[in-house]
Amino acid sequence: MKTCLAICAIAFLPGVASAQDVTQNIVNDHILPRFDVLAETGQTLEETALADCSATSEPLRAAFGTAFDAWVSVSHLRFGPTETDDRAFALAFWPDSRGATPRTLATLIRTKDPITQSADAYADMSIAARGFYAMEFLLYDATISTFGDDEYRCKLVQTVTADIAKLTQDIATDWQNSYAGLLTNPSPDGPYRSDLEAKQELFKALTTGLQLTSDARLGRPLGSFDRSHPTRAEAWRSGRSARHVALSLESLRDLATHLAQHDPPLQAELNAAFARAQTQLAAVDDPAFAGVANPQSRIKIEAIRSRVEEIRAIVRNALGSSLGVVSGFNALDGD
Amino acid sequence: MTNRRQFIAGLLATGLAPRSTWADVGAPAFLSAAARDDGTYVLCGISAALDVLFNVPLPSRGHAAAAHPTRAIAVAFARRPGTFAHAVDCATGQVIATLDAPQGRHFHGHGAFSRDGTWLFTTENDYEAGQGRVGVWDVAAGFTRADEFSSGGVGPHDIKRVPGSDTLVIANGGIDTHPDSGRTKLNIATMRPNMTYVEDGRLVETVRLEGEHHKNSIRHLAVNADGRVAFGMQWQGGGPAPALVGLHKRGNSVQLLSVADEALRHMQGYVGSIAFAVDGAQIIATSPRGGMVQQYDTDTLTIVDQNTLADASGVATTPDGVIITTGTGKLVNLHGHHAETVENTTLRWDNHLVPLG
Repeated sequence: MKTCLAICAIAFLPGVASAQDVTQNIVNDHILPRFDVLAETGQTLEETALADCSATSEPLRAAFGTAFDAWVSVSHLRFGPTETDDRAFALAFWPDSRGATPRTLATLIRTKDPITQSADAYADMSIAARGFYAMEFLLYDATISTFGDDEYRCKLVQTVTADIAKLTQDIATDWQNSYAGLLTNPSPDGPYRSDLEAKQELFKALTTGLQLTSDARLGRPLGSFDRSHPTRAEAWRSGRSARHVALSLESLRDLATHLAQHDPPLQAELNAAFARAQTQLAAVDDPAFAGVANPQSRIKIEAIRSRVEEIRAIVRNALGSSLGVVSGFNALDGD
Repeated sequence: MTNRRQFIAGLLATGLAPRSTWADVGAPAFLSAAARDDGTYVLCGISAALDVLFNVPLPSRGHAAAAHPTRAIAVAFARRPGTFAHAVDCATGQVIATLDAPQGRHFHGHGAFSRDGTWLFTTENDYEAGQGRVGVWDVAAGFTRADEFSSGGVGPHDIKRVPGSDTLVIANGGIDTHPDSGRTKLNIATMRPNMTYVEDGRLVETVRLEGEHHKNSIRHLAVNADGRVAFGMQWQGGGPAPALVGLHKRGNSVQLLSVADEALRHMQGYVGSIAFAVDGAQIIATSPRGGMVQQYDTDTLTIVDQNTLADASGVATTPDGVIITTGTGKLVNLHGHHAETVENTTLRWDNHLVPLG
């Protein structure tokens, strides 16, 4: 009797979900709410810019920060609606290794290009001058935020935010109306033929999200010990670099623990690894990662990257096989 | 140029370069990089009977190698974005030269020798400009940098020499990367891959794919004795890939191999390596992501067979078929519908299998 009880107890353990539930739960708890927040905050950003377009406007900067937070929290979910018509690239042209964003914005402002007259026309604009990273220049860059004609720059801010609002709304609508169903109800004609393929997509979102945070969000400012690059940090002008790492880790932790929900020990291991990274990050009081140039503070930022690499190792070595998705020596590495 | 070549040939004759030939190292039929189970990396020579004849230590994970046409010298490239490559004397296992990418360049993992073995050509990224380059290295002078020229595109990956000529064919994958952001892809929305032919450093032909294929990264090449080039692609767009394998011959339009959606999906939008087989009558493409090997007929341009093979990656032509390597340590001799497997439990074969001779 005791044996039976033990077996029954295991069978009904909370958190041990069937395979399909994993995808369903991730769509309902992780994906849809985040894209809804992105669309709502994108809308608010557009409305706020219409009311006050000046670069120093506190309400505008606050609305920008809130919407940018929402973007970073979905920035790993790069499949389906975000990729339609290159919407995600238009929202987030970063890393910009060759300075295309300030160059393109400066040209627009200098020539007073009429393409800024409507968001519809602006949809054909180079992606370097669209989205959140262009907005950051318009609000926070010492040169761009004061460059040229005030009236033109005001219109540019309003058009870029209107474009952001449309893109974020289109993504959320597609998720709600079609893509959530395609991901959770695999079919022979759909983009996912089996739940395994759906989970493979979600696993890839986790691995590429971790890679972006390690290689770009942390790796760019760190550079090498001899040559650090504080001004390559993400959104350093608005002092958001560390915040973006925190937001991405929070989202990636949520996704990782959902993916591991069928494997409680692995889920606990992932939770602990994320917690170590998040705790160390919280202890670093350096919003723009300016400290990468100083050996004493640099070591703390390097340590955060090491913690992220430890998470990547767990995901690569344990989560892939636990989920039954491909994670071979060559398959996972690419060329 | 002719005088210079004669001079270098003279140097080779006087023994200033390693003298071992491939016969001296057991006449391997193939080279491949591998990871060992102790965490170290090696470059291996493999016989036609699939025995590992030698292994030479590498300082980091390898990607592809280029084999000198006559001398037992291989140049092993690190996985991208590596800044060095090693020229290895396969008889002694000694690194005879380290090739350091010049300032502002990094290697892309592939290289090819000139027909007479005088020069080595390497695909490189001029990362501040975001433009592809081909580095030229002087073999007899100890693999010193001699020159460079444009690859004719962005993100060059594979490079091969068209047999019987000194024409180079280059897969410009179209993906812009910058080492300050690791392997982050910077330009997927605007990428424009192409395949270029270069003679004496001059672009002589460019092959582009139109329309939706602008997100189909041309990455790996196979060359046939009759001058045909097969290319394998990696799909960077949303949804299923429109095609993953193409065929081209100089002066002709490009042909994409049509595959039923179902079969195409098995490849997961990703071809890892490609080779001709059966005197050019077939193309074999591997997908480590799909765990799949597909055989195509080059006359009908359709798929004729497909087999699952976990982490299938490297592929090279044999007299009656191909050898395929896997990241799980297998060497598979595939000929027609038959396959024999040799499994090595201590090695994980890296992306590419390089044929010799």
